[in-house]
Amino acid sequence: MSSVRHPRKNLSAWAGLIPFLAFCLVFEIIPVLVLFLGSFTDKQGAFSLSNYEKISAPIYIRSFWNSIQISAITAILGAILGLLIGYAIFQLRSTRLREILLALSDVTTNFAGAPLAFAFIVILGSNGVITLAFEQYLGLKLYPAFSIYSYSGLILAYLYFQLPLMILLIIPAFAGLRREWWESAHNLGATSLQYWRRIGLPILTPSLIAGVVLLFANAFGAYATAWTLGGSNITLITIQIAFTVTGEVLHDPGAGNAMAVISLLIMSVCIAIYHVANNRARRWAK
Amino acid sequence: MRQRHSIFQILLIGLFVTYMLIPIIATYVFSVATKWDASILPEGYTLEWYQIAFEHPYFSITLTNSFIVSFSAVIAGLLFIVPTTYWVHTRLPSAKPLLDMLMILPFGIPAVVLALALIRVYNFAPLARSPLLLISGCVIFSMPFMYRPVSNSLMAIDVHTLTESALNLGANTLQILVRVIAPNILPGILSGSLLVFATVFAEFTLANLITGASFKTFPILLVEFTKQDGRVAAALSVISFTVAWIASLAILWVSGRGRKPMEEALGAR
Repeated sequence: MSSVRHPRKNLSAWAGLIPFLAFCLVFEIIPVLVLFLGSFTDKQGAFSLSNYEKISAPIYIRSFWNSIQISAITAILGAILGLLIGYAIFQLRSTRLREILLALSDVTTNFAGAPLAFAFIVILGSNGVITLAFEQYLGLKLYPAFSIYSYSGLILAYLYFQLPLMILLIIPAFAGLRREWWESAHNLGATSLQYWRRIGLPILTPSLIAGVVLLFANAFGAYATAWTLGGSNITLITIQIAFTVTGEVLHDPGAGNAMAVISLLIMSVCIAIYHVANNRARRWAK
Repeated sequence: MRQRHSIFQILLIGLFVTYMLIPIIATYVFSVATKWDASILPEGYTLEWYQIAFEHPYFSITLTNSFIVSFSAVIAGLLFIVPTTYWVHTRLPSAKPLLDMLMILPFGIPAVVLALALIRVYNFAPLARSPLLLISGCVIFSMPFMYRPVSNSLMAIDVHTLTESALNLGANTLQILVRVIAPNILPGILSGSLLVFATVFAEFTLANLITGASFKTFPILLVEFTKQDGRVAAALSVISFTVAWIASLAILWVSGRGRKPMEEALGAR
């Protein structure tokens, strides 16, 4: 449009953005900046690293480590299984069935939080349907080796929303693999394995990386599922941050700020990697 | 490339579908079972747990509160995000990267961190721990869900020609937006609204931390019941799942009537 060339008109065009930018500034950017600054000041308001010293206590280190571990495990497992299942769905001959499965993924990836956690308690809790069925029909006692209220249970529940997310992310990447490439490789005498190693996987790699970091971030920020399942028995960083808000005993507000800033840092790295990988993946899209 | 379906492929899909459906189906059955802890099928069926849920004093309060917050977030999205997206697409393409970035940002801020930030900054009346602060947080949190479908719809139509034709016919910006652009991107607007509604309706973290007991939402009631009475918690979960199903099916129906996003994602094959 011509408006781009007229600085004065352009200025009035920017004015149209003011309501939205003001809203973001007031309810997103300023609060996050205040949090950031707050993490570097002590109770008197002077510059200090004491908040970061506080969160080097074992309980906080363990929370970070647990969050990173759970996020990494569910991201990698979710990515590998999602890749395989995504390919199986992509290769279906029936368009209708494929659409139904994609719709199922679309719906289930949003089923996070309290209802999902409770659904897992129904099937795998200490009196869960599957727990009892295993005991009665197979003579297998799941508890106490496995528990839905612990980390192993958390992984199973997180995978429930991680898997469909990966499937939704990876299927467009499969669609980017052109039939001609397979045909050319095949005509030149390549085997299936050679095709995947030399052509298929290298092209899918950026999408896979984008998927893994997005899944990681997805799990790292999650709170409701873990809180409903394990409550305070599960030490994740999001649960520790929430404690500083709800004012549980022994939780210092300054430590909350510092934990939040480090979490934001980890999330930003994920989003940045996702952005770069996703742009790379899109090169093959058209 | 496409050969016969292998056993491995069918097995994978079968396991996936089972994993996705069993928790949901079990919760639905559990919510109407009299007793279900000794056999593969419940001993009897009852609607008692629903009755207890409905009669609970907080049931209608929390449901109303959740509807208030969800609808407010949808309306704020329609008032803030749709016009802004249109504005950037037509008048200010140079601001598109900025807008894209602002819309990715909420994904990078965990809900607990957003809640903490909002509580720390707005610790004075009348905003402190108010439903208004909760709604604002929900708008930020659900922004990308409105932006994506609307932005995609705008890219799919010839928004410049439509805008210029309307301008030549003497329409002002509001008229163009409401009477020309909105009808053309209606599937995107509807999908976005439904997505925002469903996400905010299920939102527990922001509500629990920002307003908590002073303005309880439906998911807060659900979490309380998981610790008190599993049967009633199941009934509440079913209601929550059903809202999500209805919203998702409506999105699929709406976007299916516009263009076919599924087929698009799979390429023309």
